Amino acid sequence: MAPPTYRIAMVCDFFFPQPGGIESHIYQLSTKLIDRGHKVIIITHAYEGRTGVRYLTNGLKVYHVPFLVIYRSATFPTVFSFFPVFRNIVLRERIDIVHGHASLSSLCHEAILHARTMGLRTVFTDHSLFGFADAASILTNKLLKFALSDVDHVICVSHTCKENTVLRASLDPLMVSVIPNAVVAENFRPLGYPTSTPPSSMSSPVPGGLPSLTPPRRILGPHDPITIVVISRLFYNKGTDLLTAAIPRILAAHPNTRFIIAGSGPKSIDLEQMIEQNVLQDRVEMLGPIRHSEVRDVMVRGHIYLHPSLTEAFGTVIVEAASCGLYVVCTQVGGIPEVLPSHMTVFAKPEEDDLVAATGRAIAAIRRNEVPTELFHEQVKNMYSWTNVAERTERVYNGISGAISEAEFYGYHHHRSGTTGRGMRSGVTSFALIDRLKRYYGCGVWAGKLFCVCVIIDYLIFLFLELVFPREGIDICPDWPRKKQNINNGIVDNARGSREGGGLEWGDIEEYRRRSMRPSRLR
Amino acid sequence: MLTTTPYLTTRRPSPTTAEFTLTTCPPLTLPLRAALFGVLCLRFIAVLSVMIGIYSAFFHPSGLLPPPIFPSGRITLLDFDLNNFLLHMLHLLYVSSPGQSLAHLAVPLPPYAVLALSGITAYIALFARIHTTESLLVLRGLGIQMSSNVGGGYFRLGGGTYMKRTRFIPTEKIQDILINEAFKGFEVRYYLVIVVEGEEDVVVCFPRLLPRRKIVEKVWRGARGCLYEKDGPVMSAGAGGGSTHNGNWRGGNEKG
Repeated sequence: MAPPTYRIAMVCDFFFPQPGGIESHIYQLSTKLIDRGHKVIIITHAYEGRTGVRYLTNGLKVYHVPFLVIYRSATFPTVFSFFPVFRNIVLRERIDIVHGHASLSSLCHEAILHARTMGLRTVFTDHSLFGFADAASILTNKLLKFALSDVDHVICVSHTCKENTVLRASLDPLMVSVIPNAVVAENFRPLGYPTSTPPSSMSSPVPGGLPSLTPPRRILGPHDPITIVVISRLFYNKGTDLLTAAIPRILAAHPNTRFIIAGSGPKSIDLEQMIEQNVLQDRVEMLGPIRHSEVRDVMVRGHIYLHPSLTEAFGTVIVEAASCGLYVVCTQVGGIPEVLPSHMTVFAKPEEDDLVAATGRAIAAIRRNEVPTELFHEQVKNMYSWTNVAERTERVYNGISGAISEAEFYGYHHHRSGTTGRGMRSGVTSFALIDRLKRYYGCGVWAGKLFCVCVIIDYLIFLFLELVFPREGIDICPDWPRKKQNINNGIVDNARGSREGGGLEWGDIEEYRRRSMRPSRLR
Repeated sequence: MLTTTPYLTTRRPSPTTAEFTLTTCPPLTLPLRAALFGVLCLRFIAVLSVMIGIYSAFFHPSGLLPPPIFPSGRITLLDFDLNNFLLHMLHLLYVSSPGQSLAHLAVPLPPYAVLALSGITAYIALFARIHTTESLLVLRGLGIQMSSNVGGGYFRLGGGTYMKRTRFIPTEKIQDILINEAFKGFEVRYYLVIVVEGEEDVVVCFPRLLPRRKIVEKVWRGARGCLYEKDGPVMSAGAGGGSTHNGNWRGGNEKG
């Protein structure tokens, strides 16, 4: 039996043209899911110059819904006004699964609420860590709890992130999976990596060919300069303050070292002031904002990658740096310790002194030429691939839609039905309004009742929309044609029934044989 | 009853010409003609009552019956004058019992309210459209003409044509014809656009009706076939729209 395919809508406030980790995560995951035979669309809000419906590579369709932006391209929480458009999109694309991303994206939370009202399976991916103490976090956490009260499954990018999310949203840990980010290793090759090999052998290198793929080892002379690269958006949570404090001390302690800093943000002023005050113009290079495609070219100019982030759920950029063959110095926060093996990294506590000391250790190790950075690329390539991420995500989809059994999905038979108000899980999470209300009611004394009111209003709006915009009045979108040609007339067949599988199937080959036989028989 | 969902009629007077008409007007049957006549009468009555309202509010604000212009009540050829005649007719309407009841309504209202009300009524009566008809005429080698009806469409009753607003795009200016999707209100709609050389915005076909995907695709195939295809338009694509007018189609071209 062919594996089931789904029509998936990725919903997130953050998407291209804005650069960032979540954006590229969504894009890469969607592309790989499309390769696996699913249909994926992305719903995001309109960016400047990007409104309406767009197609990206491989038929990835993006809906830029026109909305109001409040802060760092997160939209204003318009709880119900998104519903009509969302319903229209979901119906015309015949979506089965709604997959929301990022806990700061209100668009995603709304979409999950509406999707459950419409009776669709929902998945949420959390990309970030949050505190519990300050007022903003409490509010965000309450909203997250609201959104995740009735979600089918949650994906986190690291185990730390999972712990955090489970605590914040009071989830059952069983319904949270950990699927890390990945990198496109081909885009982050170290300097001198042989690129002349034909692409066919690149994708599946024969074991005997492996040694030739590693670049020549870079031997550093005693007086060669060491370059430290920092690429991050210059915000508080990315640890730019720490960086500002540490750079003069590192440069003072280690002659023959220099910094390259790429990225922009509100804290870039502080960095520039620091450079001015300490007269470090010749040793610190500020590149300003760079495109994601240029990241590799900047990275390979350095030997060490410094990542001073204060909070990080995963930290894709350090994987990219390691893939480029850089030795990584990073703060031991959030999910970062899970990301890379210890021989690629030097950890520091998120404080000035320790960061300086750790960078010192890294510089010394590089000077002694004892870090095998030339091997990093192959190792990272074997550890992280988007294909693997897509496979694991697909397993989650299978689990929630009941394609694989509960026992297989969760790994054991659980007998806790009724304790969390969630009762039955995977594939059978009830869409009945009363069951959903029970789940929301448990959110808090006042919040629970408020959430219930919201859900009821949402349901009423749904009924109203069914009356005003009947389903028959919505045009169905044709699916993007697959690369599967009917041999007799070359018409691209995109019927649902034959969407599974990318290439030729057995039936087609039989058909082909029969057709090619016929003329010879006639002769 | 007066309108239907927009439907497509295709006319192909020659293999290199195709007209795609999209209208909300159902085929003219006797009941429909009667209903349209009723609407026309209603429009006429509305215009008359507007005139009476203004006449009573601004010429006889006291509400008293004025002396008739022609005391005898009869017009003689000697003193015939068009203005006087019209005024007299208006006066006759005014003194009639429906006119009087209208005047009673109009007089207590402040003048600007009367003006505004009558303005709105007159506008609706004169210019409101019952049917929307938009069409696309494709002529190979010449271009595409888009037209849509304006005004009340009074002559439609007798099977006549509408007053049209047209736009012609010559072939050398047409870069492409394509189907696009966009947000419109709370929906995502398909629409047919013509990319015109030297213009920043694309030109939307059927902008008021915005037909459903099926119709859009049919028109798109037909228009492309008519404009670009070597050996005449593809018949199966363009003419399935329930058309009764394509008897002129010459089938000889199908052989190429």
